[in-house]
Amino acid sequence: MSKSLLVIGAGLAGLFASVLAARRGASVRLIAEGRGGLALSHGCIDLWRDGELRFSLARLDRSHPLRLAGWPALESAFAAFLEIMHEARLPFAGSLDRVWRLPTALGATHITSGAPVSLASGTLDDPEPISIGNLPALRDFSAELVAAGLRSQGVDVRGIVELELPQPRSPRDLYPQEIADLFDDPDYRAQVVSAWKPKLRGVRRLGLPAVLGRDRALEAFASLEQDLGVAPFEIPTLPPSVPGLRIERALRRLAVEAGVDLIEGPSVRGEVDGRSAGKRVSGAVGATAGGPRGYRAHAVLLATGGALHGGWLSFANGEVQEAVFGLPIETSEDREDWAAPTLYQEQPFARLGLRVDARFRPCDRRGRPFFENLFAAGGLVAGSDRTFEGSRQGIDLASAFAAVEAALS
Amino acid sequence: MTTRSTQLLVIGGGATGLGVAWDACLRGLSVTLVEQGDLGQGTSGRYHGLLHSGGRYVLSDPASAADCRRENALLRRLIPHAIEPTGGFFVSTQADSPEYADEWLVACGRLELPVDEIGPATALQREPLLTPRLTRVFEVQDAALDSFDLLHALARGVTQAGGTVLLRHRVSGLVPHGGGLLARIVSHGDESAFQLEAQYVVNAAGPFAGAVAAMAGVRLPLALGKGTMVAMASRLTHTVLNRCKPPHDGDIIVPVGTVCILGTTDVPVRSPTDLAMEAWEIDLLLSEGQVLIPTLRRHRALRAWAGIRALYRPAADRASHPGGDRASSRLGTPEGHPGGDRGATRTLPRAHVLVDHASTDGVPGLVSIIGGKLTTYRKMAEDVVDHVAALSRVKQPCRTASTPLPAAESRHYALDSRPIRLRSASPVDSSIVCECELVSRPDIEDALRQSGSADLDDLRRDLRLGMGPCQGAFCAYRAAAVAARLLSDPPADGGLAAFAQERWRGLRPLAWGRGLRQAEMLRRVQVELLGAASATADDG
Repeated sequence: MSKSLLVIGAGLAGLFASVLAARRGASVRLIAEGRGGLALSHGCIDLWRDGELRFSLARLDRSHPLRLAGWPALESAFAAFLEIMHEARLPFAGSLDRVWRLPTALGATHITSGAPVSLASGTLDDPEPISIGNLPALRDFSAELVAAGLRSQGVDVRGIVELELPQPRSPRDLYPQEIADLFDDPDYRAQVVSAWKPKLRGVRRLGLPAVLGRDRALEAFASLEQDLGVAPFEIPTLPPSVPGLRIERALRRLAVEAGVDLIEGPSVRGEVDGRSAGKRVSGAVGATAGGPRGYRAHAVLLATGGALHGGWLSFANGEVQEAVFGLPIETSEDREDWAAPTLYQEQPFARLGLRVDARFRPCDRRGRPFFENLFAAGGLVAGSDRTFEGSRQGIDLASAFAAVEAALS
Repeated sequence: MTTRSTQLLVIGGGATGLGVAWDACLRGLSVTLVEQGDLGQGTSGRYHGLLHSGGRYVLSDPASAADCRRENALLRRLIPHAIEPTGGFFVSTQADSPEYADEWLVACGRLELPVDEIGPATALQREPLLTPRLTRVFEVQDAALDSFDLLHALARGVTQAGGTVLLRHRVSGLVPHGGGLLARIVSHGDESAFQLEAQYVVNAAGPFAGAVAAMAGVRLPLALGKGTMVAMASRLTHTVLNRCKPPHDGDIIVPVGTVCILGTTDVPVRSPTDLAMEAWEIDLLLSEGQVLIPTLRRHRALRAWAGIRALYRPAADRASHPGGDRASSRLGTPEGHPGGDRGATRTLPRAHVLVDHASTDGVPGLVSIIGGKLTTYRKMAEDVVDHVAALSRVKQPCRTASTPLPAAESRHYALDSRPIRLRSASPVDSSIVCECELVSRPDIEDALRQSGSADLDDLRRDLRLGMGPCQGAFCAYRAAAVAARLLSDPPADGGLAAFAQERWRGLRPLAWGRGLRQAEMLRRVQVELLGAASATADDG
């Protein structure tokens, strides 16, 4: 009989873990109350904002999730992710030993270790001058801000090209993913090419908001590159961020194809195995439309997210509690000090989460796991401010990989 | 440097200063008003929105209560567009002393304050979230007064009457000069300066009045009190709710626009920029608010902010208010809270004080106006201009009590007209930049053209941009995009980092539960996706 795994949470960590586990033959059920965090993602794999990590990993705090996972797990996870994305026709450029410097929608520099090819083409290490395309119908991207920011960093920005979208004006504002859906259609792309091409004379590299296709992004990007006669690249916009949504759709598709039972909507409450003297969990109960429904599994992986996504709950009295099993979360600071005075500092609250052991099992202060078969991955794991470190996706992938290894062993 | 002249220079563009300028303009004086920031950036924009009925002060300060009663009735006629006649309840709960309610009712009668006692059942019918532990409920003439609206209307009135309003200008020097004063005025925009000869100077700089007076060599003893407020994300009450008990921290809830505001604390501070909020203040406001609305904590607290009130406190007064002493070591500490009111400015008289520095300090032409309440700004202005008029032998009487203020033409900073305008606009003009407050792209373009300032925080005060549930996480970038398109020389990050930091300041004191998640959303978008960084981080 194959081992069964219940994954809770459909962000990058939960989806990636589900695909990995299903491909290793486990019977996987993925249950998620919400949509997961990928709509908020720039779609890249950030590992460390200063770049090099391989040799400085040992200097991280012992409880840091990347240090706990270790370099080999990180390498394997990264390779597996790139392979999966390649298979999903969403190829990445990436390496753990160099960084890509990519432009943001504010013209700042985003340092990352892996990016979809359409984003990686915007590397600021390429000295070729760039132009920025402005889509007047899209309020979530400003060519002027990109250009001003990049110029202040010394990037050679030649100019801004006004590029109208060929379609009747919508009576309301369009969201990035709606435009992306239009670009999936070859006929629409042909209209775009005939409208835009005359305006692109002399343009070599063209920065565009990341809206060039959703499910067929590779096809859309390649055909635009060829037919427009320029080297385009994409810059992520405000959420919902299309590059994140592409990954979400690809991973969901692959998960279902690998046999994952995907259940969306119900909030879940963890269940302790009554016959195990409190040593094991038996699964979870979901509040479905038809009433409570139990989901049993040999192991449970919590991938419910951190401060933003509801993996833990915090209260006015300073208490913090994990959301599904009600596990205690320690805080060393007073509630008053959870958030730092400035937005741009490291934030103590962001480090809150479940302490885990070397096998990514939630554990107490002395390292004793609460349950033998309960695992955690992603933002729920304590010990890092992933925004400040620029380590978000690296932690998601490495912790998901390590937790699946441990759960299926 | 060029030199200009004016009869009256008013320093400070809050309700007091603008009220003085408006009154003086109506009496025919030539007036220049200088405000260091934007309209509503100081104390007048940082209050809870209550147009007092006077009920709050009937026992502690009957003179103020009578002023409030009169001014409340006047302002409803003079500036109806800025006032929502919500009415107010004074609520006595099982926790409050029944004797106080009796005394309070008698005092209201003495001052002829209109009060209706309504039964708890009627009160609960009108405000279902109100605590059922009611003993008595009195209805009074409280209202919500939009101070942004009031300030805009006053500024418009001054300008239309021929006065000059200089926003984002500071006074950097003030010296006696030929019987009047000579001021050096610097623009924050390009740091250009000019000199202004004024026969009279009214110092209406609120908590900054001490610094203004010091430029003229005058010592002006002030007691500064910080009041912290919390806005709840929804309108939990449609009526102003007051506790019927002696005035204290956290005894009021005011519905304003789409939110309701819990007010306030009162903490002595040293500096007019000491706006830091402390956890105990937030906890106190929420737990006191819970006495009136038991389900309060189930609702989202949106944002916290603080304002600084300045009261006049000459040396002779010090002994009776030791805690307010500027040199005291317990300033700004929560010691004695909740319950103690030691050192709080609340115990000082709220009535305004007019100081003519010709008699007190030998500086003719300089008058300081300190204290008072937003509700009585008009009366304060009348007193000040009466004084100046007597000095300058101007005969015209005050006309502000009978001259309505010009309504801002479009009320572009208010939510109410926006859905109608959006419905009638063409699709391209209905692009919505701020979805929480329904600010459209044309709204932003108009505001940018009118103010000439690309500062996102100025846009916020004009349009309520970023003041809704998302606190600027999404709209700040879109607004910066509109500005970057319209203006020739936008700042490199569109001013986003500074704006997001300002939003963070108000989210941080509420950073637990859903408030923490919202704060983290702001950070994810601004820092992680857009790469906004503070100037200091750039340096590093």
